Amino acid sequence: MLTLELNGKQQIVPHGSAVTDLLSIIGSVDNNVAVVINDRIIRPDKRSTHQLQEGDRVEILIFAGGG
Amino acid sequence: MDYLQLGSYTFSSRLILGTGKFSNATVMLEAVRASGAQLVTVALRRFNREQLADDLFSPLRALPGITLMPNTSGASTAAEAVRAAQIARELSGSPFIKVEIHPNPQHLMPDPIETFEACRILAKEGFLVMPYIAADPVLAKRLEEVGCTSVMPLGSAIGSGQGLATAEMLNIIIRESNIPVIVDAGLRSPSEAALAMEMGCGAVLVNSAIAVSDNPPAMAGAFAGAVDAGRKAFKAGLMPKSSFAIATSPLTAFLGAKV
Amino acid sequence: MTNLPDWLTDGRDSATLAAMLDPSSSSSLESLAIESRALTLRRFGRTMTLYAPLYLSNYCSSGCAYCGFASDRKTPRRRLEPDDIRRELTAMKKLGITDILLLTGERTHNADFDYLLRSVDIAAQEMQRVSVEAFPMSIREYRALADSGCTAITIYQETYNRERYEALHRWGPKKDFIERLETPARALEGGIKTAGLGVLLGLSDPGEDALSLYRHVRYLGRTFWRAGLSVSFPRMRPQTGGYEPPFPVDDHSLARIIFAFRIALPDVELVLSTRESAAYRDGMAGLGITRMSIESRTTVGGYHDPENNGKGQFDVFDDRSAHEFCNAMRAKNIEPVFKNWDPAYNGPADVNNTILHPVKPQPCL
Repeated sequence: MLTLELNGKQQIVPHGSAVTDLLSIIGSVDNNVAVVINDRIIRPDKRSTHQLQEGDRVEILIFAGGG
Repeated sequence: MDYLQLGSYTFSSRLILGTGKFSNATVMLEAVRASGAQLVTVALRRFNREQLADDLFSPLRALPGITLMPNTSGASTAAEAVRAAQIARELSGSPFIKVEIHPNPQHLMPDPIETFEACRILAKEGFLVMPYIAADPVLAKRLEEVGCTSVMPLGSAIGSGQGLATAEMLNIIIRESNIPVIVDAGLRSPSEAALAMEMGCGAVLVNSAIAVSDNPPAMAGAFAGAVDAGRKAFKAGLMPKSSFAIATSPLTAFLGAKV
Repeated sequence: MTNLPDWLTDGRDSATLAAMLDPSSSSSLESLAIESRALTLRRFGRTMTLYAPLYLSNYCSSGCAYCGFASDRKTPRRRLEPDDIRRELTAMKKLGITDILLLTGERTHNADFDYLLRSVDIAAQEMQRVSVEAFPMSIREYRALADSGCTAITIYQETYNRERYEALHRWGPKKDFIERLETPARALEGGIKTAGLGVLLGLSDPGEDALSLYRHVRYLGRTFWRAGLSVSFPRMRPQTGGYEPPFPVDDHSLARIIFAFRIALPDVELVLSTRESAAYRDGMAGLGITRMSIESRTTVGGYHDPENNGKGQFDVFDDRSAHEFCNAMRAKNIEPVFKNWDPAYNGPADVNNTILHPVKPQPCL
């Protein structure tokens, strides 16, 4: 298992998970999110192949209400 | 036809909507529809599985004719704002970015120095930069100089509903600007939006006044009418205001009788 | 033929001015005077900034129909050599003058850019403020002027009516309407800090010229937003044997133009020279005009040796001494200001200041 920092909190995922796997785990079913890992943006076309590493700092972001 | 030109985008609506403070997404979307707005601003937030309804991307994308303008609210520094802008552009595909950097969570006044720095960088990276600022005429020209697409001076503090408290400064900014001036923040009523347009603003951004109204879609429609009326009046040419008094002994007596 | 720029032809911003200039408008001259006076008082206080012109040379290559120095006129030509200039400056300083305007005709072999630059250099050593009213120059030339201590230039378009302009400027470099039009922008781009504009009232329809002049000021203000701007109102007088202005502007009309400009441009310096009579200048002081020339000699030199200088560019109508003029101002509760600048502010303006300059703290001496 890998330990990640996801949106500031600890998140465990199976070894060998790709970004798309992580998105399923957390319940983000569509692609309305931005994914940033260790300050690098991961584009949608790369998410199924980008492998997560131990200690990755992951930010998953959406567009929400705000002026 | 009288279009608002921002970068390569032309808009027929001069009312821009914010999406915060609404009771729920359905009401917000109704308000957007009723307003006729074509440019809508959204914030970047962390995904939260307990609050899936927070995500506005799909519902907004489903509305026809809407262009998203993400904002950098939450950022306190230029670096944070630039990062947020890059992430937002990646997600939305829109080149618009409202640079909004307010380090003080009480009065929410924008930081001019971090804002300038962020805009300088983002303009170079090809964004359509729309900075939220205090109504500072010199800052406005500096931002125009570094390539911003518009300037967005506040009418009064966010959510304060104090209307066009900065009118005198706004007049200077409008008079001296070569780019659209969009009043953002503090508008409480449609008449204030009309007044801003009569003064020569290119557009107005309204959020709180619509979101906290008892009937946001109706209020949004009212604002749309006001913005339209104010713009038409500005284009038609308002009667000059006369503030003359009559002197007791004429100042022009030295000219003698007219020949 | 290059098209006229949009900023010159676009009338949207100048509609209010047009309404005030219209002699049939509902705004009486007196009501315009009241408003103009109130704005002048608020923005400029009870002051009048003073300066004096020094004609360096009357050599000229151009053929302006209306000018006593045109190249086909029989006027004896002269230019001041460095020692002459120093003598003139000494005489001017004795009169209290610290702010001078150096003038030449259009560019000639006898009075070219290098001559002008050397003259500016000499003047900047003696005077608190040096301005130049000469020929159109390049951006690089203006930068060199700014480096030498010139902080303002005056360049009149004469008229913004292109057909009239080309008919009046019969030959020489001044014939190029667009080059002249673009001159103040080049000066500001080159780092000159203030640009002075104007039309020679009488050459063309004054209402039209006033609107164009206003648009020019507004365009420069929006483009060079750090720059100072001033507007002058030279008015042609009908002269026997000389050029007859086809659109003579009477006293009331000139007053209307000045008041309207003050109302439309509340922050811009408005200048009246000694072409106007003492009575007219005294009347306009405090109503809109904020800068006037005094002790003017419009001959080459003329301060050091007043008797011996031939015919001037125009006849001086207010020939009062500085002392008399200042008394007249004080009688109107206006303070004459001889020094409104310090050479510490000299040097080119930083036009493209898009980089923040971090300030390194210096130890106090």
